[in-house]
Amino acid sequence: MADNKQSNTPAVSMSAVNKWFDDFHVLKDINLTVADGEKIVICGPSGSGKSTLIRCICKLEDHQRGSINVLGTELNDDIANIDEIRREVGMVFQQFNLFPHMTVLENCTLAQTLVRKKSRKEAEAIAMGFLEKVRIPEQANKYPGELSGGQQQRVAIARSLCMNPQILLFDEPTSALDPEMISEVLDVMVSLAEEGMTMVCVTHEMGFARRVADRVIFMDEGEIVEENDPMTFFDHPENERTKLFLGQILAH
Amino acid sequence: MNTSNQTLNDVLAPPKPSFGGVLKQRLFNTPLDAVITIVCAGLLFYLLYNVIDWAFLSSIWKAEDEPLCRDATGACWSVIDARHRIIMFGLFPFEEHWRSTVACVVMILTIVLSCVPWFWSAVRLGLLWILGFGTFYILMHGGIFGLTEITPERWGGLALTLFIFAAVSIIGMPLSVILALGRRSKLPVIAKMVGLFIDFFRSLPLLTILFTAAVITPFLLPGWLQGDKLYRVIVGFAIFFACYQAENIRAGLQAIPPGQDEAGLTLGLSYWQRVGRIQLPQAFRNSLPAIVNQFVITFKETSIVTIVGFFEILASGSAAFGTGQWTAHYIEVYVFIGLIYFIFVFSLSRYGAYLERKLRVGHG
Amino acid sequence: MGNILRNQKFRGILFQAVALSVVAVVLIGMVMNTKASLDAQGLTAGFNFLDRSTGWDFSFSVLPYEISDTYTRVILIGVLNTLLLGFLGLLLATILGIIIGLIRTSKNYLFSLLGTIYVEVFRNVPLILQAIFWYAILTNLPRPRQALNFADSIFLSGRGLYFPVLNIPLWSFALMVAMCIAWLITLGWLRHKMDASLAYHRLKKMGWIALIIAIVVIGYLARIPETTLFDIPALKGLNFRGGMRMPPELTALVVAIALYGGAYIGEVIRAGLMAVPKGQIEAAYVNGLSNFQIFWHIRMPLAIRAVLPSLTNQYVQLMKATTIGIVVGFSDLFMIISTSINQSGQTLELLAILMACFLAINLSIAFVMNTINQKIALKGYEVKS
Repeated sequence: MADNKQSNTPAVSMSAVNKWFDDFHVLKDINLTVADGEKIVICGPSGSGKSTLIRCICKLEDHQRGSINVLGTELNDDIANIDEIRREVGMVFQQFNLFPHMTVLENCTLAQTLVRKKSRKEAEAIAMGFLEKVRIPEQANKYPGELSGGQQQRVAIARSLCMNPQILLFDEPTSALDPEMISEVLDVMVSLAEEGMTMVCVTHEMGFARRVADRVIFMDEGEIVEENDPMTFFDHPENERTKLFLGQILAH
Repeated sequence: MNTSNQTLNDVLAPPKPSFGGVLKQRLFNTPLDAVITIVCAGLLFYLLYNVIDWAFLSSIWKAEDEPLCRDATGACWSVIDARHRIIMFGLFPFEEHWRSTVACVVMILTIVLSCVPWFWSAVRLGLLWILGFGTFYILMHGGIFGLTEITPERWGGLALTLFIFAAVSIIGMPLSVILALGRRSKLPVIAKMVGLFIDFFRSLPLLTILFTAAVITPFLLPGWLQGDKLYRVIVGFAIFFACYQAENIRAGLQAIPPGQDEAGLTLGLSYWQRVGRIQLPQAFRNSLPAIVNQFVITFKETSIVTIVGFFEILASGSAAFGTGQWTAHYIEVYVFIGLIYFIFVFSLSRYGAYLERKLRVGHG
Repeated sequence: MGNILRNQKFRGILFQAVALSVVAVVLIGMVMNTKASLDAQGLTAGFNFLDRSTGWDFSFSVLPYEISDTYTRVILIGVLNTLLLGFLGLLLATILGIIIGLIRTSKNYLFSLLGTIYVEVFRNVPLILQAIFWYAILTNLPRPRQALNFADSIFLSGRGLYFPVLNIPLWSFALMVAMCIAWLITLGWLRHKMDASLAYHRLKKMGWIALIIAIVVIGYLARIPETTLFDIPALKGLNFRGGMRMPPELTALVVAIALYGGAYIGEVIRAGLMAVPKGQIEAAYVNGLSNFQIFWHIRMPLAIRAVLPSLTNQYVQLMKATTIGIVVGFSDLFMIISTSINQSGQTLELLAILMACFLAINLSIAFVMNTINQKIALKGYEVKS
């Protein structure tokens, strides 16, 4: 996780970002800075644009106005820029998106051999290292369909880590899991956070946010409504909408 | 103690239905059912008896026994005995028939091996077909390795049918992948053009396209681009095949969750890496039954080239009984040809059904 | 400068521009080549030849025809012949297909085995071979003197199938058919507007009675004077006189398409019947409906809805398959066009006409079937295309 950019270049910097889906204004004037090594949690009701926001960071969605800078490179139509950013930013999806026709090990080595041009041996060694880190090295030769949801998501995290990213994005990583498997994934995410990875997570897991986040951001209807450190955010929310949302989430 | 052990054992073993019980339930459930069963059984036996009698018991087999055919009630297979060479090889020179036979066997072997999962990677399949088709072509055409040259006008019968089928498949499969990817392109001009192309060729009858290829394209193409009529027809056929197969592949591509491609994107894979390693393997798995079915249809459709003047197996069959003493025995010849098609087509389609069952289980 | 080449949007536009130009160059090249070839052969392009008379004869025609008729009329006859062949073939194939589909979904093992044998035999042999086979059999039937005889009014011989027809002029027959179709469409529209209410059923009954009376009246008024109601074929000398004759070419093709198409349509219908969710049938059982009621009111309607797209596809395929008519000498559209090309040399124009006709036929079938599909689609469900 070596960081070879100066520590005062923000990992992600979004200014005046606006996005429309046809006529629907999904991101309204987003200004967000993520420092290197910072952990951000974004929460909000469904349809608030939080998934769209982090998908814009790795160019899975295009923004129509404003600028996004990732690791000092501007995210525009320049293909070299896009490729570079995609190599350095990893993403973990709600639906895991493991490649079903490849084994767990092959899932982790594919991008290493094709993009980082590593040899098969080297790639497998790195992959086994990360599979041990997420605590499922014994599943290396199984197919994703044979694993539980929690195991699949941990493989997905290992797969992203194999590319040695400088930023990891999480799009509701535990929302598709059965309750008893959520903690094993959250444990992995916590240990990643403690090692200093820059993370931007969209999640409903408030316990995780409290424990790990440097900042919690609340989004509603495409705008950033409130952002604060976790203690202040949860105990003394300022905005009415934030209070309403927290009341609904924390009631259960 | 003993009695409770006994009851336990009785409870644990499920009652197995006797064979007679199954038979009764399937066939004799209601009185109406019983009547239907008896009628059907009767019909089946009647059909079976007549077919076996006609084909085997009352039939004449040897060519010399042909005069007996007039009085016999069964099939006169003598016509096959006497004329099978024309049917299988057309006008291929008599001494070289061994080449045609070996070539056909090689081609059939190639098709059978393509069905073995071990070969299912682009590289292995590609090598298999290049080897198989190359061997076929060298054997048939000759000109090297001391074999006399025999140009395609002299090819005929089953060998020509297999050649056309194989050539169409080899040209058509890569083309269908390109068309499928093109139609799904994010560039609107490309997607529209490919879409128009595919829809245009799919809306026309195959015969029209073959006819155009055989007769019209000499007008459209400059002199240096004109090939033999056989190759023009093969290219036209291949384009037709590719348009249909492209739609099957496209359906398979559409069934892949978009997250798969997004995961590839976030891992930094390029377009062709994603297409080759993530999309196409899954697309082929998704639509394998439809893809195999398209091959089955294509094999049947090779019979249509007879209309544009090729001496494939239908035409050679008609020629076989067209002369002299054999004119009355058209039924036997057509049944023979029908059997050849049936064996190929039925095997391929059974294989397709088997694949479909196997893949459905795997998805679970 | 190098930067713009790396711009994603620019590359996309550049690639599309290059692709368009390549296609344009190829098309223009083909057009120029065609002009050169035509000039070299001394042929003129253009559709003027359509007014020339053809000078050749052919076997079967729906409309009255003379050798001096123009190309336009001949092509029209070709279209009508193809439509007739298609209509007869598709109709019989559908009826046969429904029967086979029902047989194959029967619980009786032997019964469904018969259906399976039929489907496998007729699906796995090319249609063209089947057509040739039936044609060979039909033309080798005995001469009219020894023709096969059904009830002294239908005769099957080597020269064709003869059957009785009504002794009325063509226009009145067309009028009757048009009235029936109009009534069926009106019935469908009324059903849509009024739902299955009591008033609707009364209207339906009255409508059918009115239709039948109208048909009988037209038939009576329009009948050819001094003839009996039916024109029954009878053997006069070496041949049959009277009645309508279906030549062996047409008969063989209709039989082949019906049997081949019946196998395919049977499979489609079987898939449809099996696609009806078991839960629906179980709910019907629980409600006390009899087996036949469940079949007629639940299984069939749901199966038809499930099956319409595949059925459309089959119809389009079978319609295209009528082009094999040339191999038995039936004068369908393709055979007429290819003979015209041989006779007049106006290859490209005639080919364009052929393609346009087939596109029109396919689009019409697709249009009709899609309209039906939309009208009967279950409300609120996503229609997956």
